[in-house]
Amino acid sequence: MRAKLCAVILGGAIPMLAHHSFTMFDMTKKITVSGTVTSFEWTNPHCYIEIDVPDESGAVKHWSVEMGSPSILQGSGWKFSSLKKGDKATLVINPLKTGQAGGFLNTATLPDGRALGNGPGRQP
Amino acid sequence: MILRLAIGCLALLPVTARAEASRPDFTGVWAIYRGAPAPPAPGPLVLKPEYAKIYDAQRAAQAEATKRGEQLANASVQCVPYGVPNMMSVAVYPVEFIQSPRQLTIISEAFSEVRRVYLDRPQAPIDDVAPGYYGRSVGHWDGDALVIDTIGIKPTVAGYRGMPHSERMHITERLKLVAPDILHDQIMIEDPVVLEKPVTYTTSYKRSPNYEMVEFVCDNNREYVDEKGVVRMRVKDR
Repeated sequence: MRAKLCAVILGGAIPMLAHHSFTMFDMTKKITVSGTVTSFEWTNPHCYIEIDVPDESGAVKHWSVEMGSPSILQGSGWKFSSLKKGDKATLVINPLKTGQAGGFLNTATLPDGRALGNGPGRQP
Repeated sequence: MILRLAIGCLALLPVTARAEASRPDFTGVWAIYRGAPAPPAPGPLVLKPEYAKIYDAQRAAQAEATKRGEQLANASVQCVPYGVPNMMSVAVYPVEFIQSPRQLTIISEAFSEVRRVYLDRPQAPIDDVAPGYYGRSVGHWDGDALVIDTIGIKPTVAGYRGMPHSERMHITERLKLVAPDILHDQIMIEDPVVLEKPVTYTTSYKRSPNYEMVEFVCDNNREYVDEKGVVRMRVKDR
């Protein structure tokens, strides 16, 4: 999967460009966050899931999760209405290297049980 | 019979009209494509020594940053459009061509960039074109290939593979169908100030007949560049 991401960015012989690389995320690490969506932003240059994640003690930590753009995401089944405020979701993400509560989406499990990836080449 | 009739009708047309009728129509949406027939490999990028030094230093700095797990700033991280020629080769984003006898309009989905290529009109003197992201493009038909001539790209617009370029950069493209639904855009860049010799590469597209272009307005950019010039993502507290 990492190879595919790199192929999209580097594109082999053809010069391909992308908005940014993924170096700010730890692509070797995956963590799972489950909670309540506070907003789903169908925007450019990226879509975002904002989510409140409770821990065992009940304390809530807020996470910002970056996705592809709407153009990229629609290729893996996403729609602007796939998530809404109040939905329960489980997200597998590559966390930010800074340790801040943010990351890059791998897979989202939606309230209806569907698992969606993060665009073509980034399927669950 | 219908074919014979069509050929007969074509024969009745004046020569110029016949040429127009046989021209390919690029109108439609085209996705970046990596399949066959593959375009030729890109040619070498050979810069004049003083510019090679700057370019190599920039690449070395990015390579060092990558080793540290960081990305250095570039224009698109800040949602600045790509301009010509890079908007023709943006990762997974398609381009749309709208062709009329007088103009080819090219729209790239990424950043909703628009180029206008004026057909069968003379190019302006380079000193009369205000430097910008798209410059001024004119095109003419060379058989079934459309040859596009572009000048007036300002030096702050990122060049091919991030190469530096001057206001004298001159881009010649040949748009040609190499198979019924496969289009190649051969892009040759000349720059008498920066390049030792022209560099040529080709972007390949496949027709996407049912694709509807997605709007792209960069109004939620969470990426920012910190004081060290490194790209970071803004997170929200809630």
